[in-house]
Amino acid sequence: MAQLSYEQARDELASVVATLEAGGVGLEESLKLWERGEELAAICQQWLDGARAKLEAAKSQVEAE
Amino acid sequence: MLETSSEKPAPVRVISEAISEYINRLGQVWVEGEIAQLNDRAGSGMVYIRLRDPSVDMYLEVTCPRSVFKAVAPLSENARVVINSKVNFYTPTGRLSLNAKEIRQVGLGELLARLEALKKVLAAEGLFALERKKPLPFLPNKIGLICGRASAAEKDVKENARRRWPAVRFETREVAVQGADAVIQVSAALRELDNDPEVDVIIITRGGGSFEDLLAFSDEGLVRLAAACKKPIVSAIGHEQDTPLLDLVADVRASTPTDAAKLVVPDFQEEVSKIKNLRDRSDRKINDLVILEMTKIVNLIQRPVMKDPLIMVTSRQEIISGFISRSFMSMNSKLLRAFDEVTHIAARVRTLSPQATLDRGYSVVQKSDGVIVKDPASLARGEKIQLRMAKGVALATALGSQEDSKSE
Repeated sequence: MAQLSYEQARDELASVVATLEAGGVGLEESLKLWERGEELAAICQQWLDGARAKLEAAKSQVEAE
Repeated sequence: MLETSSEKPAPVRVISEAISEYINRLGQVWVEGEIAQLNDRAGSGMVYIRLRDPSVDMYLEVTCPRSVFKAVAPLSENARVVINSKVNFYTPTGRLSLNAKEIRQVGLGELLARLEALKKVLAAEGLFALERKKPLPFLPNKIGLICGRASAAEKDVKENARRRWPAVRFETREVAVQGADAVIQVSAALRELDNDPEVDVIIITRGGGSFEDLLAFSDEGLVRLAAACKKPIVSAIGHEQDTPLLDLVADVRASTPTDAAKLVVPDFQEEVSKIKNLRDRSDRKINDLVILEMTKIVNLIQRPVMKDPLIMVTSRQEIISGFISRSFMSMNSKLLRAFDEVTHIAARVRTLSPQATLDRGYSVVQKSDGVIVKDPASLARGEKIQLRMAKGVALATALGSQEDSKSE
């Protein structure tokens, strides 16, 4: 799952939310979708935290120069 | 051809004669050169001139009758002259010299005309073409500098270059920048620097001067050499308005030595701030990007379906409980209705049932098989019968009917 790119994860999350909001999906299916949404959100968060960490590291390195 | 061998050598006189004969075949020639030395021995009928090639370090001895010399005097050293002469090989001493028949000084106009002619030739060969111009390295490893000895030009170039880029390195060649020597020494320095692996750009510079002073930098040999150089050349010769041919063939023409330094060396401070600026902009851009994406994700996660997923259960729960309550209610009403019906029926049953009558004191006569007796006649005397009264059933036997008793 981790090899999803950030954009792929974000876009799929968006479509999961849209599907859930549109309704008309069975309970079990909705539950699965919701779980998927949580997973995707985690992946996106992971990418963003990584990016932020890199930026912080780079910034502190620049300040250290 | 003269046949000689170690066994049959030819004596000096024969060799000298042969040489003299070959040389005489050259006949009369117009030769151009620069007066390197003048020996005007008073009293002797001859003036001795040491004539030097305008570009190359080669000399010829010229013997000039005083009258011929007087005709064009005053001639000074370094003067550029054209001499109509006959080559003479003086066999007794084996000395070769030119006998001057006529000397003319090459004038400014003549020099200019010649220069224009040379320019046309070189232009036709495409030596001035733009496509030939090589770009200057952004940051030179080492700058080859050809300039006059301890000249202002050298100081200008170095000072300006160092101010812009303190770490700049020079490979300097201080040479004659005037007269025939200039051509020879500048060319030598140019070849050297062009082959120096560390040097990646060459500046040729000198301060202002007369047309003749700068003539060396229009010399065909030097200009062709410059054109053939591998390394890019920056020429900064004389003042702004001076354009020796070297300018046309150089990769970059600088108006002054200071300008040359600016063209060849980037300004450190300027570069540093440019880089800092670019870095700041990219930092801002990437930060904005991350923040934007983060808000997108937060928005998605905050949406009700994600934030409180229970909704998918509760909403269905509501539907289910809706169903339940509806079904309950409908059941309830059915039940009530059923209950009513039952009570009605019960009431009716009760009304139809004999109990009420029994309660009012009536009783029902039934034969032993349950058949209700309505006609005493249907009973036989002594028949067992049941009397169903309000409170229960009594057993009895039929005695007979009233009509029987009447008739008895």
